[in-house]
Amino acid sequence: MIQLEKVSKRFEGKRVVTALDSVDLSITKGEMVSLVGASGSGKSTMLNLIGGLDTPSSGQITIDGERLSGLADDDLTRVRRDKIGFIFQFFNLLPTLTCVENVSLPLHLRGWSRKKAEARSRELLDLVKLGHRMEHQPDELSGGERQRVAIARALSINPPILLGDEPTGNLDSTTGAEILSLIHDVHRTMGSTILIVTHDRGVAESCQRTIRLKDGKIIGDERRSTAA
Amino acid sequence: MTLLRLISFQYVRKHKLRWLLTLAGIVLGVAVFVGMHTANQSVLRAFHQTIDRIAGTTQLQVSAGEAGFPEEALETVQNSPDIRVAVPVIEASVNPGRGNLLLLGVDMTGDRSLRDYDLENNNDDAIDDPLVFLAQPDSLLVTRIFANAYGLKIGDKLPMATMAGPRDFVVRGIMQSGGLASAFGGNLAVMDIYAAQKLLGRGRRFDRIDIAVREGVRVEDAQANLQKLLGTGYLVESPGARGQQFESTAQIYSLVSSITSMFALFVGMFLIYNTFEIAVSQRRSEIGILRALGATRSQIRTLFLGESVVAGLVGSVLGIAFGLLLARGIAAYVGTMLSEVYGVAQNVEDVAAEPWLLAAALFVGTLTSVLAALIPARDASRVDPVKALQKGKLQLIGQGENMRRRIGAIVLFALALGCMSMSYIRPLFYLGYLLAIMAAVLFAPTACNWVTRTLRPLMKWLRPVEGALAADSLIESPRRTSGTVTALMLSLALVIALGGVARSSYKSIQDWLVIALSPDLFVTTNESLTSRSFVFPPEIGDGIATIPGIDLVQMVRTVRINVRNTPVMLVCTDIASVARKIHLPPREGDPDTMYQEAAKGKGVIVSDNFALLRKYKLGDIIELPAPDGPLRMPILGIVIDYSDQQGSILLDRELYIKHWKDTTVNVFRVYLQNPTFEPSVRAKIQEMYGGRTRLFVFTNQDLRAYILKLTDQWFGLTYVQIAVAVLVAILGIVNTLTVSISDRKRELGVLQAVGGLRNQIRGTIWMEALAIGFTGLVLGLVVGAIQLYYTLEISRTDVAGLRLDYQYPINIAAVLLPVILGAAWISALGPAESAVRGSLVEALEYE
Repeated sequence: MIQLEKVSKRFEGKRVVTALDSVDLSITKGEMVSLVGASGSGKSTMLNLIGGLDTPSSGQITIDGERLSGLADDDLTRVRRDKIGFIFQFFNLLPTLTCVENVSLPLHLRGWSRKKAEARSRELLDLVKLGHRMEHQPDELSGGERQRVAIARALSINPPILLGDEPTGNLDSTTGAEILSLIHDVHRTMGSTILIVTHDRGVAESCQRTIRLKDGKIIGDERRSTAA
Repeated sequence: MTLLRLISFQYVRKHKLRWLLTLAGIVLGVAVFVGMHTANQSVLRAFHQTIDRIAGTTQLQVSAGEAGFPEEALETVQNSPDIRVAVPVIEASVNPGRGNLLLLGVDMTGDRSLRDYDLENNNDDAIDDPLVFLAQPDSLLVTRIFANAYGLKIGDKLPMATMAGPRDFVVRGIMQSGGLASAFGGNLAVMDIYAAQKLLGRGRRFDRIDIAVREGVRVEDAQANLQKLLGTGYLVESPGARGQQFESTAQIYSLVSSITSMFALFVGMFLIYNTFEIAVSQRRSEIGILRALGATRSQIRTLFLGESVVAGLVGSVLGIAFGLLLARGIAAYVGTMLSEVYGVAQNVEDVAAEPWLLAAALFVGTLTSVLAALIPARDASRVDPVKALQKGKLQLIGQGENMRRRIGAIVLFALALGCMSMSYIRPLFYLGYLLAIMAAVLFAPTACNWVTRTLRPLMKWLRPVEGALAADSLIESPRRTSGTVTALMLSLALVIALGGVARSSYKSIQDWLVIALSPDLFVTTNESLTSRSFVFPPEIGDGIATIPGIDLVQMVRTVRINVRNTPVMLVCTDIASVARKIHLPPREGDPDTMYQEAAKGKGVIVSDNFALLRKYKLGDIIELPAPDGPLRMPILGIVIDYSDQQGSILLDRELYIKHWKDTTVNVFRVYLQNPTFEPSVRAKIQEMYGGRTRLFVFTNQDLRAYILKLTDQWFGLTYVQIAVAVLVAILGIVNTLTVSISDRKRELGVLQAVGGLRNQIRGTIWMEALAIGFTGLVLGLVVGAIQLYYTLEISRTDVAGLRLDYQYPINIAAVLLPVILGAAWISALGPAESAVRGSLVEALEYE
């Protein structure tokens, strides 16, 4: 499902910083993987590259059989919108839109009709237990509720891959646990491939597989028989 | 100063584009201010220079209005014991087919003691014996500039169409550059005065007498004695005083220039205000850090005001440079207009601003910048350091502040209405105007919010994501948008006002043309219908009247005279025949008796604009300065007549001839028995007189087209103002969008992250720009309706005396919709590209 071959990412400035250094990685369909490492180890860079938000300096990334290198910006966007759902640490909801509108956003961008997009959004908000908050705006919600909306938005297109950048990083432990449980539910019921960047040991260990990064290289790849 | 260097300079370096846009606001205002005033000054200076250079050592001049005076007056002046030299002069602007030429007719026997002709190659022989010069009536002296421009040398011939038919004049001397030869930009020719009389058809009349007083006699005494000797029909004055008439003529331009440049500065002020408000919003965390580190509120305020002073100075210097460039174009336009409409001789060769104007521009530009920054600087000083250092969305205009603005707007508007009811007290009228505009400015942010909220459903319906986000961006950040919208609103309001006046005038003039312009043919001495340099003898009119098919020939003499120190047009014709053919709409007086009485020479009929501007009423006695003494006549009627912008007075021709002793004619108005005779009668007139005199025949349609063309030129300012509005829209919208994109960096990043294509991102920026343009347009159209009312009132009472109907310029409004939306879209192109080209990762991490 996700394939990285000799992928490097260098940031050129006054001095060159290598964020990822010739990384090889393969994640199969339906796996739930955590990506851990100290700050600056390259985990967010890797997530951005897999998500098509950034392009590698060298190497090849293949997502669901589609090679990302050489794709034009709009083609990269199409891969992103058809195959990937994002969950961010700071939720990244649009403050002026209601929950339904936020969840509908990716659907509208794909040209769905208003009615169909709204119906799908309501269904997803029910799924994340926010049926009572449909018309609320993000600043009227708690942190956990906002992240639920973000998850509903990520699921709106039914993507084969879900990428989470510290999805529980901005939440208290109880709410974090609820969100993690929700992500596991999604994994179980939808069979999505999930990659989560996290500092939280509990979150990392709840995944089937944990990849450890240090100085832009993979230094560990631990598989568990069952997820928590 | 240290803070300015450490903080502000670094900020400017990082945000060069935004600062360029701030400067553009000042540059715009100062450039219009400098451009318009420099152009006016240059035109006035050119006129004064022409007077001074032609005057030579002349100490006093005798004149009797545009019609001149009979030759006998010269003898009276020369016999005065105070006078050393008194020489007659004829001065006229002619066009020998090579641009305008100022023709000076002088009497060489005495003139050289007043003027130095400074001929080249010591060729003064040509005029050393004036009798030789006189004996050759085709003699002409030209300047080196004119000779060079047209490749003339001594002995060359210069053909001219004169009132005695086509004549060749011979260049008998070339004046060296400088002094007299530099008058009228060097486009000057001198000829014998009697030859000039023939050329121009002036009969035995002079335009003026130039005088030098005897040694030991005070000029003031000589002036007083001469005035007494000649009577009040003549004007004895120093050459410098002649400029006053021109200044009065140019006054209307000064007023329009002042209003336009003040408006430009006001609009510029909002662009600057907008930029500073945005800067304060953007730099909240920086301000918070400074405050946390110990900066006082006053230091923060001083920091922002210091930035505004620097921006003001730099912008003003650039504005002055642009203004001087702009002045060249405006001076040429104003100069041409004054020559065309008033036939006033001047040639703008040197466009330069007075030092005081440059200093004033620098001061006004800087002051505008500081005033614009006052509120943002105050806001900056009030930033709470704790809140500023917390992450969160940008500060919005507080509800309380918004409420205060609304209440302020309502109070000001109520006061403006109060002033309107007492508009007969002019200072109160102008105060009301100012209050109404201030009320609109205060209400603009609220109105802007209402319009965008109303637009949101439509925008969302058009594009669910792009439209909703664009509308929300405007609704959520009023500070970012309201300055631009206000600037655009003010600018467009002026367009509507000028367009409205143009539309109303055009309509009124067209209606008037239908009534007043009833003759089938017009026979004139000049292609330019307003030029009165050449005149016909009345015999030509008698001759034309004998042509078969002609019903009536009206002889019209128009001369400009001074009434209450303002030049107005005296129209002299056979009023009895006018009454038979034309019925000008009466404003006051009985339409039947006013013409009958005026035809008997018992009074005059005046135009409505004259009565309004000079405060005359029906029955008032008006004093006309005739050469044989003031002619006091009652006003028998007030009619609608647009023949002259300063107003016109209709006098019976017989009375004019009696008091002015002038039988000449400017125009023969020819009525045909049948309109189908037009081509044959026209051909016959040309056949009879074409080779014998200088004569042009215009049809009714030609004249209508000519008048409407002149009217169009007057309102060329509307188009200039549209251009300014477009510039304001572009500057303001680029500024707002640049900041909007910076503020919405994360939002746009999210949009791309969840699948927004580049065109969808561009779409939201374009829609935001279109919404700003549309909102500015809606508010501009509304405030324009108020501005139009005041402009019509100013035009009626203080400028032109025109009672114009209130007609909203729907056509201009219709044109503005695509123009402003187009400008808004063009403004959005650059910002939209920058929005789609930024790093997505950075955008998502942006705080």
